[in-house]
This record gives sequence, structure tokens and C-alpha cells, in this order.
Amino acid sequence: MSPLIELTGIGRIFGAFTALSDVTLSLPPGRIGLLGPNGAGKSTLLKILMGLIPPSSGTGRVLDQELGGDGDSEGNWRLRRLIGFMPEADSLVPGLTGVEYVGLAGELYGMPRREAQRRAHEVLSYLELEEARYRRVEEYSAGMKQRAKLAQALVHDPPVLLLDEPTSGLDPAGRDAMLRLVTALSTDHGKSVILSTHLLADVEAVCERVVIMAGGCVRGQGTVAELCARRQDHFRLRVQGDPTSFRTELLGAGVRLLEDNGHGEWRVVVPPGWANLSFFKIADANEAVIRVLAPDDETLEELFLRTVGN
Amino acid sequence: MAAHTDNLLRYRPWRGKPHGPLYASVAMARVSLLLMVRRRLLWGLFALGLLVFFFFFYAQYLVVWITNQLATETVRFAGIPVTIGNLTKFFDRLALNGTAHTFGNFIWYQGYVLVILLALAGSVLVGNDFFHGSLPFYLSKPIGRWHYVLGKCLAIGVFVNLLVTLPAIGLWVEAGVLYDWQTYYLDNFDLLLGILGYGLVLTITLSLLVVATAVWVRRAVPMVMIWMGLFVFLRMLGDQLGREVDPRWRLIDLWNSLYLCGLSCLGAEHVTIRPTPQPEYWEAWMMVGTVCGVCLLYLRRRVQAVEIVS
Repeated sequence: MSPLIELTGIGRIFGAFTALSDVTLSLPPGRIGLLGPNGAGKSTLLKILMGLIPPSSGTGRVLDQELGGDGDSEGNWRLRRLIGFMPEADSLVPGLTGVEYVGLAGELYGMPRREAQRRAHEVLSYLELEEARYRRVEEYSAGMKQRAKLAQALVHDPPVLLLDEPTSGLDPAGRDAMLRLVTALSTDHGKSVILSTHLLADVEAVCERVVIMAGGCVRGQGTVAELCARRQDHFRLRVQGDPTSFRTELLGAGVRLLEDNGHGEWRVVVPPGWANLSFFKIADANEAVIRVLAPDDETLEELFLRTVGN
Repeated sequence: MAAHTDNLLRYRPWRGKPHGPLYASVAMARVSLLLMVRRRLLWGLFALGLLVFFFFFYAQYLVVWITNQLATETVRFAGIPVTIGNLTKFFDRLALNGTAHTFGNFIWYQGYVLVILLALAGSVLVGNDFFHGSLPFYLSKPIGRWHYVLGKCLAIGVFVNLLVTLPAIGLWVEAGVLYDWQTYYLDNFDLLLGILGYGLVLTITLSLLVVATAVWVRRAVPMVMIWMGLFVFLRMLGDQLGREVDPRWRLIDLWNSLYLCGLSCLGAEHVTIRPTPQPEYWEAWMMVGTVCGVCLLYLRRRVQAVEIVS
């Protein structure tokens, strides 16, 4: 399978400021999360992926389209036809109805007017905005605005969706619905999704792969399972009974307690050469019962904090 | 029925052949006009603009009628004898005789309404795109920044020509009917070209100026204030300094400079221009060219991809 995105040594400099430095990525089609704190270079990378600004150094391809050249060049227009972009900002056109707004997006993508209109009706119906099609977009609720923005990105049926904070401003129910929709577009209709967000939970819910950026560099990339290291020395324990003497003996044996939630659930780190059977022996000796003993794999949040160095 | 609804709500692919980016500019212009015609205030101003046209239309007819019917008679108005000379003295100031100055004067007076209308239209057409963050919506499509500017300029150009060029052509046609149509149209065909040239100069200059000032200040009230400064304050200042210091000071009055360019298109002799003294035609062309150049440079800097992702 040819990669969705292939970047080699991509850099971007704005005057004296280095926004991106030596970004090398090879991402297959699928659902990809782009994570990073403010100033990490996510926005600059998105602009380069859409052919809006050329990289200062390096080469790259998106869906077999070469990156580079002026944002107003023919090659970059061809690239943008393959991408549906949902911006973070409101980006609605006040005064237009939903169907006019999405139809305009279709025509901007080069669709003939009649087809753009037909397609606008279809996409708005698919995104459950059928009833609100003839209402002006500025009257929409936050959730409807987000779906209208998704509709304008989908109207020309692009193979790649680039979503910038798609759940921004949504209530929990709206957020769940949006994430389900994004996942369905990928699983049911074969769209590749690049999700740029600050919300780790969104990436966990939707993405198969994640790219973590900080300081203009890629700090980590891969599947979530690959990146969240399987730590052999971290365990989660749930203990029934009086844990006081059990805990004292564990600590005496060199086990380090990372977290105790006060309800018998602990996160611990064992010393080198530790055998898991020792947990049960010490528990037996202290009349405690271990209900759960599981490896304590790294969460995405821990991975993120470890990767960006904070 | 359920199956039918289900089919309608399904996401369907689209595999058509897209048009080029110029098609997108036309779509953008059409939607911009739609946004304009939905404003009642703009219809009021448009009607006001038509009043100026109808005044010139009937006044031109009246002058011919007076000349033909009352050439040898004296009529009394409120007991005062009114001669043909008295009546036509007023109309002579407007040069209602189907010459270059007829159309130049008409466009000069039409300018008052046009400037107000464009000052209000700027925020609707362009300012809102920046204020509501709609620029990413446009620039993420397969078009360049100049297609965006072109789309907006086309919409403004339609209004300029509806208010100025078309009515001026109407006056030219009327003049031919009132005088000797068999000779007037042939002898004064260059006037028709001059009207089109004047309209083109106005279209290019005013549309660029509207887009540039709307990109700069975005909202209607500051936009109106800036345009009043440009077309009222600078006009008063240019008039004063032009009379007392140097006629070139009149060049800071942009409407006067456009008027001079228009008269040069219409082939009017420089010595016949009122009020006097006036700068040379080439100086006015230079001034208008400079304004257009500055607007283009400003738009090149401000309408670009760095606005895409916040």
C-alpha cells in the first residue's frame, strides 16, 4: 500500500524562527492523530501538507502528489482537490444558508453548480443537518456549525480529511457523535483522517496512529499500542482486606508505590529481578487478597508528557 | 419507504471532472452578489443611484425639448419671463448635450452614491471573511489568493457597472435618439468606448480599494469612516491646495483623479475640464495606477495561507 504521507527532512523557517525542523514521516492511509502543544509546528505542518506554503527544506509527497512550489501553483491545487479541510476557526460565511454554504464549497472545489447543489443536499442529510439546510449558518448551534464545516470538507468526496480540532466547543454528547462520525467516515467509506488536536481522548477514541510534535520536531510516531511502551516493571494492584501490613512488607522488599487511590488500588514499580509470585506470597503472609494484578502500560497522556518533555 | 430514506442518507462517492479555479472565482462572485442583494439598505442606495440616472435622463430630454420647442418663444413662470437662455444655463453646467462631459458629469455625480454603497458593501463582501474567520474556508480550496481577490472584485465590479457604466450607456443611447441617431452613433462611437473605459478604470480601482480597505478594517463603521476620509476630506483638502498651491494637489482627491482618467478615456480636451486648474491626464493615470499598485501589494501580503490555521 503506498503511503498517505511521506516526508523527508521537511523544514520551514519564517525569518529567524524555525517552525519545523527535519520532519521525516511515513504514514499509511488510516486515522492519524497529530498531537502537540501550542507552537509545536502542527499548523505549519498542516499548511505544508495542503500545499499552502512550501517547505524551506526537504521533500515530501501526499497521496503521490509532490509537495513544494507556491501555494498558488497548479500542483498544489491538484493536491488540495484530494483534501477536505475542516478549519478550527468558525470559517462560516454569514448570510448563507447551510445548503448554499456547502454548495459554494463544492463549486470552489470545481464541481459544476448543479452537482455541487445536489451533493450539498446529500452530505447535509448524511450529517443529519437535513432539517437545518435552509437556515442561515450563523443561526446554527455549536454542534451544527461543526457538522456544517465537516460537510463543506466532504462535499467533493476527498480521499483525505484534515480535521483541525473537530470537537472544539462541543458538549460531551456532541463530541461523541462527531468522533463516531469521523470514525465511520474512515471505516465505512475508506477516508483517511488526519486529526490535529490538543485533546488526547479524541486521538485515543479515533486514531490508529499518532504523531507527537514539539518544538517543530516529530518526537514520536507509530501506532498508539507501539508508542505506549509496555513497561515490565509497572503494575496495577487491587487489594482486598487490610492492606497496611501488606504495603509495609512490599515497600520493605523494594517495591515503589507510585499511587494509592485510598480504595485498595495501587500503582507500583517493582525492583529488578522481581518475580510476580512474590506479590501473592507477601499478600498471603499478611492476610490480604489480591483481586487484580495487571501490567501498568503507559497511557497516551503519560506518553505525551514524557515525549514533549514536560 | 424506510429503504428509500436509508438510501438517501447514505454517503455516496462523487467522481466528476472538476473545473479550474477561475470557475471558483465566478462562483464566489455570484455568492457575494447574493449576500449583497439580501441587504435592504443596499437596495435603497441602488434606488438612489437610479434617481441620479433618471435626473440626467429626463434633463437631457428636457434640454432638447426646450431647444426645439421654445427656441423662439418666451414663457412666464410666476410672472417672471423665462427665456430659453435662462433655462439652459442651469443645464449647461451639467453639459447635457451628449458630449464627453455629459457622461463624465453623470459618473461624477453618480460617484456620491457609489462610494457610500461600496463602503457599506466592503464589510459584507470581504470584511466578514476576516472577521468571522472564513478566509481558511476559501484558501483551503484548490484556488490561489488572486482567485479569491478576483471573485470579490468581480462582485464589486458588477455593482460599479450596474450603477455607472450601464446607465451611462443608457444616456449615450438616449442622446443618439434625441439628436440625429443616424450620425450620432457613428460619430460618437468613441464616446461609447470611452464610457466602457471609464467603467473599467472605476471597476478595477474601486474594487481593489474596497477589498484592500475591507481586509484592513473589516467592519462597516470604520470602513465608512475611511472612505469618507478618502473621498470627502481629501477632496476638500485637494481642492483647497489645488487652487492655492499647486494643481497637482488635486491628485490626492481620488475621485477627481478617476474623473480625469475617465475624461481622458472619453477624449475630452484638458482645457474644457472644470473646475480649474487641474493636473495633467498622465499625472492622474499615475496616481490611479499607484493606488491600484499599493492595494495589490497590500492584498498580496494580507491574503495568504498563514491565516489558514489559527
